[in-house]
Amino acid sequence: MTAHATPAAEESSERLCGLLAEFADAPALVEAARTVREAGIRRFDSHSPFPVHGIDGAMGIRPTVLPWLVMGAGVAGAIVALVMQWWTNAVDYPLNISGKPLFSLPANIPVTFELIILFSALTAFFGVLALNGLPRFHDPLSQSERFRRATADRFFISIDARDAAFDATRLRGLLEGAGATAVETVYEAPTAAQIPPVIYLAGIVVVSLALIPPLWIAKDRRSTSDTPRMHPVRDMDDQPRFQPQADTPLFANGQTMRLPVPGTIASGDLRDDDHFFRGTEGEQFVTTLPPQVQPVTLAFVQRGRERYDVYCAPCHGLAGAGDGITSVRALARPDSPGWVPPLSLHSLGVREQPIGKIFNSITNGIRTMPAYNAQIPPQDRWAIVVYVLALQRSQNAVLDDLPPEEREKLELRDFRN
Amino acid sequence: MTAVDNTFNLPGQRAPLVTGKADYATITQDVCAIAEQHRPPRSWYIAFAVSVATLGVLGAAIVYLITTGIGVWGNNSPAFWGFDIVNFVFWVGIGHAGTLISAILFLFRQQWRTSINRMAEAMTIFAVMCAGLFPAIHVGRVWLIYWLAPYPNWLAMWPNFRSPLLWDVFAVSTYATVSALFWYLGMIPDLATLRDRAQTPIRRMAYGLFALGWTGSARAWHHYERAYLLLAALATPLVLSVHSVVSFDFAVSQVPGWHTTVFPPYFVAGAIFSGFAMVITLAVPARAYFGLKHLITPRHLENICKVILVTSLMVGYAYSIELFTAWYSQNPYESFLFLGNRPFGPYGVFYWIMVTCNVVIPQLFWFKKCRTTAWIMVVIAILVNVGMWMERFVIMMSLTRDFLPSSWGLFIPTPIDIVMFIGSFGLFFTLFLLFCRYLPVVAMAEVKTVLPHGHQP
Amino acid sequence: MHTRLTSTRGDRESISLPDSVLRMSRILIVVGVLLLLLAVVFGLLRGDGLSYFYHAYLVNFCFFLSLSLGGLFFVALQHASRAGWSVAVRRVAEILAANTLLMALLFLPILVPLLFGSSVLYKWLDPDVVRADAILAGKSAYLNLPFFVTRAVAFFAVWGALVWYFWRRSLEQDETGDASLTLRMERVSYPALLVFAVTITFAAVDWIMSLTPHWYSTIFGVYYFSGAVVGCLAAVILILTGLQRTGRLLESVTVEHYHELGKLLFAFTIFWGYIAFSQYLLIWYANIPEETTWYLPRQRGGWVAVSLILLFGHLLIPFVGLISREAKRRPAILAFWAAWLLVMHWLDVHYLIMPNVEIIGLPVGPIDVFCLFGMGLLYLAGFLLWAGSRPLTPMRDPRLGESLGFENS
Repeated sequence: MTAHATPAAEESSERLCGLLAEFADAPALVEAARTVREAGIRRFDSHSPFPVHGIDGAMGIRPTVLPWLVMGAGVAGAIVALVMQWWTNAVDYPLNISGKPLFSLPANIPVTFELIILFSALTAFFGVLALNGLPRFHDPLSQSERFRRATADRFFISIDARDAAFDATRLRGLLEGAGATAVETVYEAPTAAQIPPVIYLAGIVVVSLALIPPLWIAKDRRSTSDTPRMHPVRDMDDQPRFQPQADTPLFANGQTMRLPVPGTIASGDLRDDDHFFRGTEGEQFVTTLPPQVQPVTLAFVQRGRERYDVYCAPCHGLAGAGDGITSVRALARPDSPGWVPPLSLHSLGVREQPIGKIFNSITNGIRTMPAYNAQIPPQDRWAIVVYVLALQRSQNAVLDDLPPEEREKLELRDFRN
Repeated sequence: MTAVDNTFNLPGQRAPLVTGKADYATITQDVCAIAEQHRPPRSWYIAFAVSVATLGVLGAAIVYLITTGIGVWGNNSPAFWGFDIVNFVFWVGIGHAGTLISAILFLFRQQWRTSINRMAEAMTIFAVMCAGLFPAIHVGRVWLIYWLAPYPNWLAMWPNFRSPLLWDVFAVSTYATVSALFWYLGMIPDLATLRDRAQTPIRRMAYGLFALGWTGSARAWHHYERAYLLLAALATPLVLSVHSVVSFDFAVSQVPGWHTTVFPPYFVAGAIFSGFAMVITLAVPARAYFGLKHLITPRHLENICKVILVTSLMVGYAYSIELFTAWYSQNPYESFLFLGNRPFGPYGVFYWIMVTCNVVIPQLFWFKKCRTTAWIMVVIAILVNVGMWMERFVIMMSLTRDFLPSSWGLFIPTPIDIVMFIGSFGLFFTLFLLFCRYLPVVAMAEVKTVLPHGHQP
Repeated sequence: MHTRLTSTRGDRESISLPDSVLRMSRILIVVGVLLLLLAVVFGLLRGDGLSYFYHAYLVNFCFFLSLSLGGLFFVALQHASRAGWSVAVRRVAEILAANTLLMALLFLPILVPLLFGSSVLYKWLDPDVVRADAILAGKSAYLNLPFFVTRAVAFFAVWGALVWYFWRRSLEQDETGDASLTLRMERVSYPALLVFAVTITFAAVDWIMSLTPHWYSTIFGVYYFSGAVVGCLAAVILILTGLQRTGRLLESVTVEHYHELGKLLFAFTIFWGYIAFSQYLLIWYANIPEETTWYLPRQRGGWVAVSLILLFGHLLIPFVGLISREAKRRPAILAFWAAWLLVMHWLDVHYLIMPNVEIIGLPVGPIDVFCLFGMGLLYLAGFLLWAGSRPLTPMRDPRLGESLGFENS
C-alpha cells in the first residue's frame, strides 16, 4: 500500500484510502464511471441514492450469481420438505388419518411449497447481504461529510487507493474532466476503525443472556427431578367438585358418596338365564333353542338373515362358505401372508356343533374371530344361529328334501338338458 | 401542498406519478422530516394513547383468557371455531395487500406502487402479527405452542402433515418471515439515508445499526436489485398460497358451505379486496397528515379504488357461482345451506350486510367522483372491511348447521370475544403509529427512480 | 426508438400478409372439411352412434374456442389496463378473438343434432334418463334443450358483438388515427370483461361440465378460463414467430415483447396449475362420492398416463423451462414452449371431455387427430381471412410509440 501512497499521505499519520468525486446527476455518473473504467481502474465504485440505469454496463459489473443460489435453495427446500414429511408421517410415526395414504403427495404439496419459498427467500436476503459484504459498520468513506448525501441526492465515484493503477493526481484530473463537481482525497485515521468498547461490552452481555434459556433447557433435558414439572394453569387440578372419599356437609351421613337405592341391581346381574344369554346348561352347550325364541317364525329367520348379512357375511360369505369379500381380498393380496381364512359353516366340524356352541362363538368370538356380544343383542344372536342352521341345511340338501312338485320340475329340466 | 389532478387519461401520455416540483432533495427532505421531527404533533400522541389503551385492554383480555381457559370465548359445540378464526382470517386477509403491492405490482411494472408500498408492507406485517395472535392463543396453553413445530421430542410424536391446520402454520409463518424480509430489504437504503442525515449520535447509531453499512454502491445495488426482484417473484406465489392454504382449512372438510372448489381463488380475491381497503383507510389520512399529497397522489388512490372494484366483482362472482352450484348440485345439504340457512337463517342479517358491503357498495367506484373524493373512498373502504369481516363470520357459522339437525346449535360471542377483536385493532394501530413516527413511510429510493428524469441514463 | 416507428409505417409490405393468403385459405378450408368428413367416416365405423366423433369434435371445438376467447380476454384486458407495451402484438390477439365468429359456425354441427333430439353428447337431453333420475329431474330447470340453446345463442351473440366491436374500432383507428377510439374501447372493455367472466363460466358449465351431469365444481369456469389464456398466449407467441419467420413485423415486435408474453405465459401456466391443483386437492381430500366420480374414470387405464402427462407437461416441465430470463428472450426457445403448451392445453381439454366415452386402449385415436387437424386448418383459414391484407399491428394506436420503445427493466 505504501508503494502507491502519495506525498500527502506520507505527511500525515493517516492512511490514504482513495479519491471521492461528486457528480450532480445520474447521467454524469454513468459517463464518469465509464471513463474511469476505460482508464484501467478496477477497484472503484459509484454511489447513488437509487439504482442508476446503465451503470452496470459502464462499470463492467458481471451478472450476479444470486439467482443460482436462490434456485439451489429452492431445490433444497423441496427436498427437505418432502423427506421430512415422508420420514415423520410415513416412517417414524405412521398414523392413519381418514384413510389417506401415509405419504400423501397432494396433502404434502402446501408445506413443500412453503418451504421452497422460505428457503429461497432466506437465501435471497442473506445472499445479497453476503455478496455485498454487509453488514459493515465502518466505511472510510463515511469520514467525508460530503459523502453523506450519497444516500439522498448526490452521486459519487470512489476509487480505492489499493488499485494497481492508482495515481491520485492523474485520476483527480480525469474525474474533474469527466464533470465532477468536487473531488476530495479520503484518509482514514488509524484509530477510526475501532468500535467503542461499550458496544463490545453490550454485545457480550446480550450474548451471555441469550445463552441462558437454551442452557437451562439443555440442563433440564439431561437431568431428572423428583418434583413435578412446572404447571402454570391448574384448572384441571382444582375443579369445583367433591372427591369420592371425602367428607361433605351436604348430606346427613357426612359422606360424599351416595348409597344405591334399595333394590338396585348391578348392571349385568339380571342375566342369569344361561340358556338364553350364554347358550349353556351347566357345563354343556345346549342343543335346543331357548324358549324365548320359540316357536321359530319366518320373520325371525329373516331377521337372522338380515343380521347375518350385516355382521357375518363379510368374512363367512353370503352362503356361509367362508368366501366373504374380506377374506377373498385378503387372500388376493400378496402382502398378507398371515391371513387365516374363516371356516366354512358347512364343514363337518361346524355342522356337528351343538347350537349353543355356535351361539357362544358369536357371543365371545373364537380363534381370530372377535366377540360380537357388544354389537348384537342376544335375541338377534339366536336369530343368526337359526339362520346359520338354515344355511347349513340348504347347502347340504338332498333331492328328497324338495316338495314333490319342485322335484318334478327339476327332473324335467334335467331331462331336457 | 395542494394535490394536482393527475388522474386524467390521455392515450399515448402517462400521467406523472409524483406531482409538483419534486426532486431528489425535496423527496428526501419531505419523507425524512416525518421521522426526524423532535416532537410529533399532539394528534399523534392522542392517537397513540388511544391505541395503547386499546392494546392494554387486549393484553388484559389475553391474561384473563390464559389463566381461565378458552371457555371464556363463545366457542361451543358445534361452533368449535368462532371469533378466533374469524379474526385470524380477517387479519391475514388484510395482510395481503402489502406484499401484493410490493411484489405483484413490481412484477407488472406498476410504478405507482412506489409511493405506497412501504406503508402497505408495514401494514401487512402488523396485520399478520394480529392474525397470528388468535390461533396462538386459541390453543389454550400458549406456552406449548412449540408443539406445532416438527422437532424431535420425547413424546416421540410428529405433527400431522396431512392436516390443513399444519399447512397453515407453515404458510403463515413463512409469509410473516418473507414479508418482513421484503420490507426490511426495501428499507435498508432509506435507513441509510436517515443515518446519514442524523443529527445526534444515538439516532446515527440506531439507524446505522439497521442500515447495515449501506452506501448506495453500484455493485451493491446490482445484487440488491436482483435480490429484490427475486423476493418479489417468490412473494407473488406466496401471497396466493397463503390465503389458499387458509381456505383449505375449511374447504378440505365436508361441511356444507366450506367444501367448495372455488374457495382458494375466492379467498385470495377477498384478501386482496380487504387489504386494499385497509390501505385506503390508512393512506388517505396519512398523506393528508404527513403532507405527502404530492407523493401519494390522487392517481395512486384512484388506482387502489380500481383494484377494490375489480376484487369486489371477483368476490361477487364467487358468491354467485356458489349459489348457482348449490342449486345445480341438487345436493340437499348444499341447497339448504346456501339457499336457506345463510340468507334466511339465524345469521341472515350478517349475510345481507356482507353482500351489501362487499358487492353492492363498492360498485360506487365505477364513478370517478367516488374514486377521487377522499372521504367517500374512506367510507367505502371501511364498509368493505366490515363486509369482509362479516364474510368470514358467515362462513364460520356454517358449522352451526351441519348434516345432522340434532347437532345444530348457535354461536353467541361473549364480551371477551368482542373485546379481543377490538383490542387487536389497538395492537395494529400502535405498531402502525410507531412505524410512522420512526421509519421512512415512503420508499424514497424507489420514488426517486420514477421521477421523470430518474431513469434517464 | 422513434425512428423505428417511422420505418414501420413506411414499409407496408412488412406488416401485412401477401394477397395470396386468400387462395391459400381456400385450400385450407377444403382440406379441413375433408379431414372432418374423414373423422365422421371413422366415427361411423366405430358403430357407437357417432358418440366418439361428437365428443372428439366437442374437444376440438372447445379447444379452438378457448384460443379465441383467450384472445378476447387479452384484448379487453390490454384496453382496461391501458397497457402500452402490448400494442405491437395486440392485432394478432384481435384476429384470434375475431375467429369467435368462425367458432359460432363450427358450433352448428353440435347444435343441430341436439335440435333433432340427439342425446349422444348430453345424457340429460334424453327424457327417459331424466325421468329415472331424481337429480337430473331436479336440474331440468337449467339443463333443458330450449334453455341450453338460448344460452348458447346468447353466448355467441355477446362474444360476437364484443369481438366485432374491438375489431372494427381497431381497424377504424388504423384509418383515422383517432385517439378517442382508444378511450371508447377502454370504456367498453370494462363491461366486456365482466360479461366475459359470466359467459365463459356458464359456457364451460353447459358444454363441458354437464357432460357428467351429476358432477359439480364451483371452480370449473375458472379452470377453463385459465387454460384458455394459456392457449391464447401460446398461440400469439407461435403466430408472431411464424410471421417473423416469413419476414413480417420484424421491426415492431422485439425481443422485449416476447419476453413480456413469455412472462405472461409462465404466469398463467402456474395459474392453471394452481386452479387445477385446488380443484383436485379439495375433491381428493374431502373424498365425497358425488365429486370423486369425476376423477375416478380419469385415474383408470390410459387416462392415468394423460393425468400424469398433464401434471408434468402442463405445469412442472414448462415451469422449469420458462423460469429463466433467457428462455423468454430467445424467440426460438419461447416458441418451442408455446407449441408445447398449446399441445398440453389441447390434451387438457381432451382430458376434460373424452373420459365420458368408453375407450379401450390409447386415449387418443385417429378420429381425434382428424378432428384436430380438420378444425385446425379451418381455424387457420379463418385467421388468414381476418388478417387479409390488413396491417398486423395497430399502426396508429396512440400508445404504439410506447410499445415500440418498450424495454423490460
